[in-house]
Amino acid sequence: MESSYPILLFVAVLVGFVITNLIIIHIVGPRKKTAVKQMPYESGMDPVGDARQPFDVKFYLVAILFLVFDVELLFLYPWAVSAYLDDPLRANQTGVPVELRGTVFAVMLVFMATLAIAYIYAWRKGVFRWR
Amino acid sequence: MLEQIINWFPEWARPFIMPMLTIAIVLQVNLGVCSYLILLERKLSAWMQDRIGPNRVGPWGLLQPVADMLKLLLKEDVIPGHVNKFLYVLAPGISVFTTMLAFAVVPFGPVPRNLSATDGQFPYIIAPGVDLGLVFIFAVTSLAVYGIILGGWASNNKYSALGAMRASAQVVSYEIPLGMSVVGLALLTGSMSIEKILLHQADAGILGWNIWFQPLACVIFFAAAMAEAQRLPFDLSECEQELVGGWHTEYSAMKWGLFFLGEYTHVITISFLTSILFFGGWHFPWIAEPDSQYLGSTLVKVLVLLTKSFAFIIVIQMLRWTIPRFRFDQLMGLAWKVLIPLATLNVVCVMIVKQFHLNEWWLLPMSAALFLGAGLIGTQSSRPFARRTSEPVAEAHGHHAHAH
Repeated sequence: MESSYPILLFVAVLVGFVITNLIIIHIVGPRKKTAVKQMPYESGMDPVGDARQPFDVKFYLVAILFLVFDVELLFLYPWAVSAYLDDPLRANQTGVPVELRGTVFAVMLVFMATLAIAYIYAWRKGVFRWR
Repeated sequence: MLEQIINWFPEWARPFIMPMLTIAIVLQVNLGVCSYLILLERKLSAWMQDRIGPNRVGPWGLLQPVADMLKLLLKEDVIPGHVNKFLYVLAPGISVFTTMLAFAVVPFGPVPRNLSATDGQFPYIIAPGVDLGLVFIFAVTSLAVYGIILGGWASNNKYSALGAMRASAQVVSYEIPLGMSVVGLALLTGSMSIEKILLHQADAGILGWNIWFQPLACVIFFAAAMAEAQRLPFDLSECEQELVGGWHTEYSAMKWGLFFLGEYTHVITISFLTSILFFGGWHFPWIAEPDSQYLGSTLVKVLVLLTKSFAFIIVIQMLRWTIPRFRFDQLMGLAWKVLIPLATLNVVCVMIVKQFHLNEWWLLPMSAALFLGAGLIGTQSSRPFARRTSEPVAEAHGHHAHAH
């Protein structure tokens, strides 16, 4: 946490940068409103209906699957960092002890097998078939 | 010399000087490089298509970026009447903010070991010593999808809405292979910190670069990162011919320019990350070793890293004119049916090598076998796990018509 204060500083600078930019854009440059400029651009056709229409349920399926796999990925990160950490230079950082590595290995294989079953189920259900 | 300058400042201000200096450098260089990358891209595409490219403004068109910038600033900034004003203005800001923020943990030179922010060494990174650098980058760059989807939704335009839906589905799909491809690196290095992964390779020499052990992960990372940045061949969300620019159809002047600033910043970040994670960063045998102390060695290291990153920028820009754009079902298929299983199997390979204390060089044939196997399965059977009985053969024709 101590090392991340430059990130907060960068956040502040970037927010300032973005807001200044948006304000400058607003001030500089001419502004002439005409009826055609105010219309939605649809390659010169007069727009028919509203743009906010219901969309394909496929997008929801992708989002739900993304949640499943992304959470799984988050479980993998701490394991990946600590599983085989035996760097003598970093003695204060403790990874998985050597006698537990076999167990952790088996647990991770089971975890990935479960995931593979879910993945094949989703594939056979046709979630990845986009049409 | 830097230490003396820092000592002029009051005690409380000293920790902020180096970060402010690096932030100023990164921001300025980034803005300049982005505008010239656009010129480079136009020149490269002209060269690849046997055209001349921009050549009117200044010698070889070198002043074209300046003219473009002025034009973008002085153009009328149209805010159409049908948009949601607040979100419409906010979206380009989010886009630039998130892509630039990702650069906070990317080193652009030899980061001194055991650095603390107060001891007056130039850090070559905005935030040194962040342990979760990679996680930070994935977290922040995936926030960029908000800029896209808010911009598309707020525009209230059918092209924008379609582009935004496609873009969000694409970005969330490619997020998974992107994150999965670096799990192997974390297993090999024992760290998620970008600096530590770099140092691990630099200490091991050129035969310790991660590209030798994780070539498949490198390909997956590069492809997924390009999809995240919406670069061709993955720019389904903005395809000019069908969607007139997708989610930024209704944007004009510098707001449009901000979206492109975000995209080019993303390209720079990808190139830096690929060269740091897989190609040894600033390390190069003989001229830029970790213990080379000759005069100007630091400058050489910075130049080596910049050269590697520049090579990847060129690769990204040349790919744009080499590979045609995917169809949307192919795009989603590539993410879910190819990259995700391959990345997971790659992690399993690294697990096995580490668990049974095999030589790490086994990973090279393993990666090659995975790559070739995926290619064989992909070409020999088009639908490996699909249930063949439930579907009449005639439906195969409808497949193309409905895919959008």
